[in-house]
Amino acid sequence: MSNTFVDAYPKQARIIRQAFLTSFIALAIGAFFGLIQALHRTNILRAIESPTYYTVLTGHGVFLVITFTIFFLVGVYQWAVTESLERGPVDMRFTWGWYGLMLTGTMLAAFAILAGFTDAIDVSADVLFTFYAPLQGHPIFYIGLVVFVVGTWLAGADWFRTWLAWKGENPGKRIPLPTFMVLTTMIMWYISSIGVAVAILAFILPWSIGIVESINPTLTRTLFWYFGHPVVYFWLLPAYLMWYILLPKLSGGRLFSDPLARVVFILFILLSTPVGIHHQYLDPGIAEGFKYIAMTNTMFLLLPSLLTAFTVVASMEHGARQRGGKGYFGWLKALPWREPAFTGMALAGMVFAFGGFTGIVNAGMNINYLVHNSLWVPGHIHTQVGTAVALTFMAGSYWLIPQLTGNRLVGRGIALFQVVLWFVGIVIMTNAMYRGGLIGMPRRTAEPEYEGFNYEVAAGSVGELNAQVALGGTLLFVSTMIFLALMILTLFNGESEPIDNRTIPAPLSGPEDSPPVLDNLKLWVAIAAVLVVLAYVIPLASIVSRGGLFGPDIGPFPVFVEPVSLLIETVLVSIGW
Amino acid sequence: MRLSWPQLLIVIALLIVILVELRTVLAFFEIHLSVTATAVLAVVVIGALVLWTVLSSADRSE
Ligand code: HEM
Ligand SMILES: [Cu+2]
Repeated sequence: MSNTFVDAYPKQARIIRQAFLTSFIALAIGAFFGLIQALHRTNILRAIESPTYYTVLTGHGVFLVITFTIFFLVGVYQWAVTESLERGPVDMRFTWGWYGLMLTGTMLAAFAILAGFTDAIDVSADVLFTFYAPLQGHPIFYIGLVVFVVGTWLAGADWFRTWLAWKGENPGKRIPLPTFMVLTTMIMWYISSIGVAVAILAFILPWSIGIVESINPTLTRTLFWYFGHPVVYFWLLPAYLMWYILLPKLSGGRLFSDPLARVVFILFILLSTPVGIHHQYLDPGIAEGFKYIAMTNTMFLLLPSLLTAFTVVASMEHGARQRGGKGYFGWLKALPWREPAFTGMALAGMVFAFGGFTGIVNAGMNINYLVHNSLWVPGHIHTQVGTAVALTFMAGSYWLIPQLTGNRLVGRGIALFQVVLWFVGIVIMTNAMYRGGLIGMPRRTAEPEYEGFNYEVAAGSVGELNAQVALGGTLLFVSTMIFLALMILTLFNGESEPIDNRTIPAPLSGPEDSPPVLDNLKLWVAIAAVLVVLAYVIPLASIVSRGGLFGPDIGPFPVFVEPVSLLIETVLVSIGW
Repeated sequence: MRLSWPQLLIVIALLIVILVELRTVLAFFEIHLSVTATAVLAVVVIGALVLWTVLSSADRSE
């Protein structure tokens, strides 16, 4: 008798499958666009005209880091909440409601982007996923983004509601760890996505519709990055959840410490947002001092990631020793390497550690000048969200999809090959991206080398770097296609049962070993709010007082901001900023 | 077999990755390996690994 998730919660399994399906469609399109880029900018195969490159690149960014990741997130989080609270949502219609909103938003934004491929429709949004003003997309694009984000807010509300209902039935109990992770992630998301909502609703959308004529680009950029750094944790935390919850089980053991995991997620609530200015080190119009504060906060963010590395590896070692592993390093051999879900996540974690070091380079205020807007940055992006997150999601799917369908995974050996292929592909591609960045190759361009100009390559040649990007990109594309094929085959593999069951073993050190204050979510929200205010109020006020809310052409409006910003300006001048 | 097939696959992948990155690291010390040299090195190292893994299985079955 199998004991899978779909046996226990068929209704919830259905919506999670739906979310994954949407996510995987986005992955397919995004990967295809990635291949086009990798071949185009290296001049190996030019299937499109260079101006079209930016439509492709916008699609690649939006479909992969918004659609693929966030639909996957809502799927995993719905699974985690249901499984750990042992109950479904209060009202499934509400659950389908937020899924529907997210889908509608996606369709609108996707339409605006894809319409850029044809002149027949007068709509386009070649603004890349950061939609910096003064680049302007069709209003449908921004409306789509807003509808999508509102959908995610309601998803969070749904999980909070489920938790409150559970709390009523289980007074005095600690929040189960997976639900704790979901709720803390969503708190972080609420705090941060306000920034992008304000940027779009108050400034960019009215400007793209034509209600206001001008815009203050520094202001909208700053609001974007207020959200833009936390969003990377919105991608990462579901991967963390899977490392904390699934990896120990797959390794044959238990999570090392539940309290440490809670501390990590709380640190993300506190530190994710007051760091966004680290993406703007080179932006004029923001004083150095604020950048310095952002850098300091960023370096503190290393802490939760190092804690995670420790806890997850300790759990794996525990599992390996349970399976008979011996010795200082000998236990590594006892890990279940034949299991694609395990191997994929372990390799993703390795790449993440490596990419973390390149992130320290990005985060250093002075050394950032070396790599800013160079191909180094996509190198970093692909090791982090493109592998630590994407590969963990794919590997996790090898375990989750059987749980959600009741079907056995098709082609376990091929799946193992797929995750290993991704690992090799990403290293080949990003190695060249990092090296290219160091010699000053720009990112986000169809034509990275102007005529009559030659890069001074430190090692190898430009041709070789290009070949590496194209080869790595092709391997990644092939790997993605294998993954999707196995998913489809598994979906139709009805005459079978999954090998594993749904139980998650209890941690070695459980929640009872931690102070209850960790579960005091209100406290953490309050501290986070204070940090955000400290990091952002003065920079925002000075941006507004210099450039005006709607940019230099239109005076500051509404007027009540004037006195406030004037006051702050006076204070700033008097303390010598 | 000293390593199972999955283990062998993963060690090969790790070797490829190490070679790719090592080549970059060496370049910082002014040691330049050409693509061909790296490829040959990869074939030799991986070939040796595969032989070592597979031949030892013959030993054990005897
Ligand atoms: C399927 C294999 C993939 C290939 C071949 C690929 C290729 C590329 C290339 C060549 C660029 C640089 C474009 C440029 O700056 O001119 C790029 C950018 C990017 N990729 Fe990928 N990629 C892949 C998968 C992914 C995945 C899985 C993610 C995230 C989940 C991702 C996220 C991004 C992002 C965020 C950018 C930056 C976009 C921008 O600058 O606006 N990619 N990709
Ligand atoms: Cu950041």
